[in-house]
Amino acid sequence: MAHIHLPDGIFPLWALVLWNGLAVALFGAVVYRVRQRGLETRRIALAGIAGAASFAIFQLNLPILGGVHMNLTGLIGILAGPAIGTLIVLVVNILSAVIGHGAWGLIGANTLVNAAEVIITYYAFVALVRANWDTFPAAATATIAGLGIGGLIMGAIPLVSGIQGTAIQGLDLALYMGALVALNLGVAVAEGLLTGLTVSFLTSMRPDLIKGGVDVTDETETGTEVTA
Amino acid sequence: MSALSNHVPDPRLITAYAERWDGPLHRINPWTKVAVLPIVVLAVTIVDDPTIVAGIYAAILGLYAASGLPVQRLLYWYTLPVVFVVTIVGPLAFGEPGVPIGGLVLETPIGSLSLTWAGLSVFLGLLFRSLSVVTYSLTIAMTTEYNDVAHVLGRVLPRPVDQIALLTYRFTFVMLETLEDLVSGVDARGGSLVSDFWGNRQLYSRVFGMTFLTAIERSERLTDSMEVRGYDGDLTLYSHVERPPARDLLVVGELAVSVIAYGVLA
Repeated sequence: MAHIHLPDGIFPLWALVLWNGLAVALFGAVVYRVRQRGLETRRIALAGIAGAASFAIFQLNLPILGGVHMNLTGLIGILAGPAIGTLIVLVVNILSAVIGHGAWGLIGANTLVNAAEVIITYYAFVALVRANWDTFPAAATATIAGLGIGGLIMGAIPLVSGIQGTAIQGLDLALYMGALVALNLGVAVAEGLLTGLTVSFLTSMRPDLIKGGVDVTDETETGTEVTA
Repeated sequence: MSALSNHVPDPRLITAYAERWDGPLHRINPWTKVAVLPIVVLAVTIVDDPTIVAGIYAAILGLYAASGLPVQRLLYWYTLPVVFVVTIVGPLAFGEPGVPIGGLVLETPIGSLSLTWAGLSVFLGLLFRSLSVVTYSLTIAMTTEYNDVAHVLGRVLPRPVDQIALLTYRFTFVMLETLEDLVSGVDARGGSLVSDFWGNRQLYSRVFGMTFLTAIERSERLTDSMEVRGYDGDLTLYSHVERPPARDLLVVGELAVSVIAYGVLA
């Protein structure tokens, strides 16, 4: 996830209620949908262990801009699909908050950003592969799009909420958050390229995992399967 | 975890402290510790006096140290939370109106830039708020046994999120070892992952790809074993966490009332 985790204490209470309320609504809808359709054992196992892999990869320091950490949310979206991918990023955010990375009060806001990244990356990847793009450019472009929009949402949240204690707001705050989003976009490009290479690698090793952008274990979500 | 980052808390070390250490907080009921968490979050959100915020942080840091947890390592673990606060709030502190510290004002094409006392106060206040929650969260994690954490996750989260969380928590330790082995393998072959991201992009993608591939293959084996054991959507937890004693409930209640009263009256 190529963005800053919003830390605890920077927003007023009403903002915590707002963002967590929106997150509960989104995740309530996803959980309801998943329960209605039923969740196979293999999907639960995949989600659980993919979450563990994402959480583990976060421990690796990448030498970009002095050091960044990635959870590869775009890759999670491509591999697990939008619904399960959304649940995975929720779990990864909970476990990240447990170890002090992220925020308990803003877990809703942070997870909304990540969920947007997962969902947009997945649908963009499917669309690009259906348009006959190769795996690498499709995965890289979809991830950059997903992370870019996630970064925009991350920048918009402080604008809507306002930062506690500071007199800076309005246009000044918008300009600063815009600069921050632009900086994040640079990291998003690096993560997008890395995700593209990783998807290409996975496709070469296990082409059955990613068939034309549609996860073969995700037939219940997409209803279709596209052959590469 | 020598091969991986030392400024991200290692879940294995955290669990080792929880399982093998015996400080005063280890003996507190897990539900009590978890119940205090939203009170801490509420407190750092509504308290606007920087002195009180600093006091909350000092109290939590004291609790952490009194539990026998490693204070020096905490400084490394603060790296990312501090980076987040610095990134979001740091530059804003230079734009706060007020009296410049030491009278230093930097003239730039977009206007004068100075760090004022008000700006420093905002920055430190927000830093202490964030670090208070980070420190308390780590304190809970390092004083609560694996089985109890699993029990709490299983009880608090709705299905199927609880199932995913339990598997993620369990397999985090396995995936960390897988990743560490891959990084060690790169080092043993004379490779390096600590510099030149672009030059090593293929190497990174293979390490990440192999990590996910291992995860997926493990999940396929896990599916078989879960189905053979008659998995019906419920991972059985053999641990049980008792309800907190009345004394704990009283303390938690008093804390909550104090914070809410502050919010209403201040």
